[in-house]
Amino acid sequence: MDDSELNRAILADMLDEEYEIIEAENGLEGVAVLQLQGMDIALVLLDIVMPEMDGFGVLGVMRQNNWIEDIPVIMISAESGSSHIERAYDLGVTDFISRPFDALIVHRRVVNTILLYAKQKRLAGMVADQIYENEQRSSLLIDILSHIVEFRNGESGLHVLNVRTLTELLLKHLVQKTDRYPLSPADIAMISTASALHDIGKISIDEKILNKPGRFTDEEFAIMKTHSMAGAEMLQNLPIHQNDPLVKVAYDICRWHHERYDGRGYPDGLVGDEIPIAAQIVALADVYDALTSKRCYKAAYDHETAVNMILEGKCGAFNPLLLECLTETAPTIPAQLDESVNPAQRDQREMKNMMMEIRRHEELTASERTLQLLEHERMKYSFFAAMTQEIQFEFTLSPPMVTLSAFGAEKLGLDEIIMDPLQNEKVCGLMDEMERKGLSDSLRSTTPEHPVITYDCRLNLRGERRWFQITARAVWSADEPPRYTGAIGKAIDTHESRMRLDALERMASHDSLTGLLNHAYAKKRILERMELRSASNFALVIFDLDHFKSANDNLGHAFGDHVLMYVAEKLRQSIRGGDIAARVGGDEFLIFLEYKEDVDIVIDRIFQSLCGVYEGFAISISMGVARTDVVGSNYDDLFHAADQALYTVKRSGRGRFRFYDKTMHNMLSAITPIDNGGEQR
Amino acid sequence: MTLKECYAAMGSNYDEVLGRMRSERLVQKFVLKFADDGSFDLLQKSLAAQNYAEAFRAAHTIKGVCQNLSLSKLGASSSALAEALRGGGWSEEAAALVEETTRDYQETISAIRAFQEALGG
Repeated sequence: MDDSELNRAILADMLDEEYEIIEAENGLEGVAVLQLQGMDIALVLLDIVMPEMDGFGVLGVMRQNNWIEDIPVIMISAESGSSHIERAYDLGVTDFISRPFDALIVHRRVVNTILLYAKQKRLAGMVADQIYENEQRSSLLIDILSHIVEFRNGESGLHVLNVRTLTELLLKHLVQKTDRYPLSPADIAMISTASALHDIGKISIDEKILNKPGRFTDEEFAIMKTHSMAGAEMLQNLPIHQNDPLVKVAYDICRWHHERYDGRGYPDGLVGDEIPIAAQIVALADVYDALTSKRCYKAAYDHETAVNMILEGKCGAFNPLLLECLTETAPTIPAQLDESVNPAQRDQREMKNMMMEIRRHEELTASERTLQLLEHERMKYSFFAAMTQEIQFEFTLSPPMVTLSAFGAEKLGLDEIIMDPLQNEKVCGLMDEMERKGLSDSLRSTTPEHPVITYDCRLNLRGERRWFQITARAVWSADEPPRYTGAIGKAIDTHESRMRLDALERMASHDSLTGLLNHAYAKKRILERMELRSASNFALVIFDLDHFKSANDNLGHAFGDHVLMYVAEKLRQSIRGGDIAARVGGDEFLIFLEYKEDVDIVIDRIFQSLCGVYEGFAISISMGVARTDVVGSNYDDLFHAADQALYTVKRSGRGRFRFYDKTMHNMLSAITPIDNGGEQR
Repeated sequence: MTLKECYAAMGSNYDEVLGRMRSERLVQKFVLKFADDGSFDLLQKSLAAQNYAEAFRAAHTIKGVCQNLSLSKLGASSSALAEALRGGGWSEEAAALVEETTRDYQETISAIRAFQEALGG
C-alpha cells in the first residue's frame, strides 16, 4: 500500500517474480483488499503517509480484526523519525524499512518475514496435528480405504471427500436449525469422518456389476443392493474396535444409507426417524454427489438441476427437515465442493474448522448451558414478579444478602440487592428487631420437609406502619445435617384488608355509641382473662345511672346519649390498663378487674370518679360488685351476683355501691332482660 | 546520453542507485516513469488551491520516489518542502522551497527527456 504508483512499481518489480502482488493506493483500498483476501495475503508492505487512511490507520484496523496476528506487515517510509518507527512497532509491524531502500534488503526481509510466519503457522499446525493426531490418522486411513473402494468403482476419487464435506455442511446446518437431533460438534465431526466408509460394502460386489455402463438387470440390482449390509457386516465383524463410537456410527451409515424416509428403501425398509440421522444425512449427500458427478452410466448434472431433482423427490424420499437444510445451504455447496480447492487445502480448512469448533465446544460447556438456563429462569422470574406486583425476595445467609424483585425494591424504597442487610440502616428501619427476630426464628424452626411459613408483621413503610404478610420458604442445604442457608419468599401488603378486618371486628365487639366493648365481647374477654390467670382474684362490677330514664324523657334522647358517652369516657379514665369495661345495654355498664387486696378501695375510687355533673345533670350511680373469692369463677354466677348486689343498692335508695354477699341470695335481677346482651339465664 | 550522464545532469549519484537497485534496466525503467508521475502536478495544484495538507503529501511522495531513485538534488529540496508544509501551514520559507523544488524538478525532467531522446524514444 503506497499512494505513489512509482513507489509501488519499484517494490513490485523487486518481488513479482516470486510473489503475486496486489497494489492499493491508499489505506482504505488496502483494508478492502485485506477484507477480501484475508489470510491469502502473505505480507503487507505499508507506507505511512497516504490519503484517505494512512499507514497507522491501516495497522489499527488490522489490530482490531486480529489480522495482524496472521499477516505480517513491513512498513516502508520516507519518515525516518524514531517516534514513527516506535509507533509502527507498537502497532505490531514486523519490520520497518526506511527509504531509500536497497532492493536486496527489501527482498530478503520480505522473504524472511514470510518464511518466519509460515514457520510459525506450521508450528501452530504441528501442535494442532499432535492434538488431533488420532483423528487425522484414522481419517487418513479411512480416506485410503474408501479410495480403494472408489478405485474399483472407477469413480472420481472425490466422491468420498464430497460426501464428507456435504455431510458436515448439512449436519451443521441441521443442528442450528433444530434441536430435534442433539448432536455435539464432536458428533458432527465423527459422523462426517464415518461418512467416508458408507460404500465399503461395494468391495464385495463384482467389478463387472459395479462398473456396468447400462441399466442393471433385476438380478444385478439385487446384488448391488447387498453392498450396504455387506459394509455393515464388515464393521460388525471387526476383531477389535467394535464398540468404538466411530465404528458404531459407520455401521449405521453403511447399513442404512440406502433407506428411504418413506420406508421404501433397503435393506431394512426403515421409516422416518427409525433411520439414524447419520445415515439419513449421508444418503442425501451421496445422492447429491452422485447426481453432480459423471458416472459410467450417466453424465453429470449441474448443481441447480441436482438440487431440484432431489427436492422434487425424483431421487428418493428424504426427511423434510433435511430437504430444508439442502435448500438453505444450496447456495454455498458449489464453493464448498470446488475442485480447485485441492484436498490438502480442504483438509487444512477442515482442521481449522475442527479447531474452531473445539474451541467453541469448550466454551459451550455444561456450565455455559446451565448459565443459559439460569438466565432463562431469571428472565421468567422477573417477568412474572413484575406482573404480580409482589414484593419478592431472596435471602442468603452467606454471603449475607437480600435480593428484591424490582417491584419490591421500588415499593419498599430499598435497593434491589442489599449486602449485609442486618447492618443496613434502611432495612433495620423498615423492619424492627423484634419482627426480624420473629421472622428469622420461624424460618429456622422449619424443616427441609416443611419449609414454608407465613408470618404477619408490621413494616415501617415511608413513615407508616403497615401490615404485611410474609410467605417464605426456608432454604436448607442438601448436606447432612441440613443447614439453614437462607429463604425465598414474598411479602404482601395486607394492611388495607387487615384494617378492614380490624374495623369489622371492632364493630362486632364494641358498642357503637360509647366505644366501650359490648357485653358479648366483654364476656369473651373476661372468660379468657380468668382462664389465663385462674389463681387471681377478680371483681365483676355492674352499675347503672340513677334517674337516667327521666333525664332521657325530660332532656331528650340526644342528651341522654351524651350523658352515656360522658360516663363511658369517665369510666375509661378511671380504670387501669388491664381492666375491662363494657356497656351492657341502656344505661348499664360493666367493669371487670383483677385485685390483690383492698378491693373496696379500688371500687370506691372508681365509684367516686364516675359521679359528677354533666351539663347540669347530676350523675349518680348505683353499683353492685361480685368477687370471685365469694362467688367463684363461673361467669354467669358472677354476673348474677353483681346484678343482685345492684338490685339491693337500688332497693336501698341508690347512689351507692355494694359487694355481693350471701344475704342477697334471693334478690331479683336489676337488669332488664332485653338490654342484657349476655347469655344470662 | 547515458543513464549515468543523465544522473549527473540531475545532480544525482548513479552509482548509488545502481548499488541499491542492482539493475540498470530497473533504474532506467523507473527514471523514465518518473517523468510521467503525477505527484508534482498534484503539488502544484494543491498549492494553487492552498490545500497544504495535500501539498505536503505530494511533496512527501516526491521525496520518497527521489529517495528510491537516488535523485538526491530534487530529493533534498522536496524533503525540505515537505518538512516546511508538514502540519498544513504556509510560510515564506515554504514559498522559497516551492521555487527551489520547482527548479530542481524542471532540471530533473529536462535531463530525463534528454536521456529519453538519446534512447530514441
